[in-house]
Amino acid sequence: MSIRWASSWPELADDDSRQAVSTYLLERFGIPLEILDKYYLFERKKGWFILGKSEQVKNGAHLKVSKVGLRAFRKVGHFIKPTTRFIQAFGHFASKSVFQMDRPQFETLVLTGEIPVDLTLEKGYVILTMEDDVVLGLGFYIHGTIRSQLPRSEIRETMLE
Amino acid sequence: MPRYLIWMPLTREIVGSVNTTFETYHNFIPDFSLFQESLTKPFPVHLRINSLLAHPSKVVSALRKKGLLMTRVCREYDTLYIAEDLPYPGNLLEYFLGHIHPQAMTSALAALALRPRKDALVLDMCAAPGGKSAHLADLMGNTGFMVCNDLYTNRHVSLGHTLSRLGVQNSVVTGYQAQEFPLRQPFDYILADVPCSCEGRFRKTPKDTQYRENKKKALLPDIQKKILLRGFDLLKDNGEMLYATCTYNPAENESVVNFLLKERDADLLPIHLGIAFEPGLSEWDNEIYDKRLTKTARLYPHHVDSVGFFMARIGRR
Repeated sequence: MSIRWASSWPELADDDSRQAVSTYLLERFGIPLEILDKYYLFERKKGWFILGKSEQVKNGAHLKVSKVGLRAFRKVGHFIKPTTRFIQAFGHFASKSVFQMDRPQFETLVLTGEIPVDLTLEKGYVILTMEDDVVLGLGFYIHGTIRSQLPRSEIRETMLE
Repeated sequence: MPRYLIWMPLTREIVGSVNTTFETYHNFIPDFSLFQESLTKPFPVHLRINSLLAHPSKVVSALRKKGLLMTRVCREYDTLYIAEDLPYPGNLLEYFLGHIHPQAMTSALAALALRPRKDALVLDMCAAPGGKSAHLADLMGNTGFMVCNDLYTNRHVSLGHTLSRLGVQNSVVTGYQAQEFPLRQPFDYILADVPCSCEGRFRKTPKDTQYRENKKKALLPDIQKKILLRGFDLLKDNGEMLYATCTYNPAENESVVNFLLKERDADLLPIHLGIAFEPGLSEWDNEIYDKRLTKTARLYPHHVDSVGFFMARIGRR
């Protein structure tokens, strides 16, 4: 039975939109298509939001909401840009376009906002990881450089201590 | 009740130095001199490990590698730690990663006392800034569905940020007045961490040497009773609710719960915290409370080295 969402809820993404996001995750990062099967995908303006599927969700669909689930992607030009929070939660499913930084590279990224690297990779987003399975967030690879896409207001030099 | 009542700018009046602060509670706070002494010490930093995004032992190990002294709060929970000599937890990489959340230990105990089962339908009636909501989602393993409600839209920013940073994926945010939350759908679990006088948060500091009493404190019980009644009316037959405040004031604690017991077919359920606490009061200020009130929990700073707290676990008879 389909759920009747109150008008304050974002639109449920249609099949094309859902496929575009899933395909991007698979092709760019190797994140399996079925990962998003466990989530409702909502779309509003230039962003997508995920909400875990549950029998319980229909019981709250009548409520007037101001925020739904986790903001997962933004449309940036022709790119689909995953959010830092989505990558931190789902980045460990990725099998490609993942760059593991060593400590000096992490310091360079924090202090300068970019790191020079030589990757055999098309330009686009890369998942930044560190030792001990830490998924930091997203970078953008272009012209032999990874540019930090981490939220500037949240990155501090004290994180290097 | 006008919506501006609780959060409007309030005039505060000085009620006494720390030596005499809360003197009216002398009769029921055990070891009162130790209690007052505890108010002169700064709050310790407590951290909750967010197991939605990280394994507790790995996070603790990473923090210890940085030289932090991490001490487990009690044996029962591998996610609650006291971090000594850590002035700004928000500056840590682990904070940005959503692996930790600075949270008063007693606040963290609220979600643990309610402990919603997986796949449940949950309501947090006064959710901002979101630490307890995120903890509930953690305990549910991001399953089920949680409504995080807070009347004030400006507080939705911090609420949304907390939920996102901690990887919560099973929730929505709403902005209803808690005491008028729509009755259409009953919930399995409800947290009512209500607006209160926040006495439990007072500590003497160089800047704030005297407790300043909120002149509107006397108006709080009325709104607390309305929120508690609405919460109870939103509960499924086998549902559970937790009423919580961070105040010592019996008029905002036992008296409010006593009102519910009179007005509704409610019962008080035992509370299991894994740490010792004082039972609720049976009388105060010439008011005799229902005997069941002793099932509620009072947590004092000189016992738990955290924010003073009160909680009552409520079900239907």
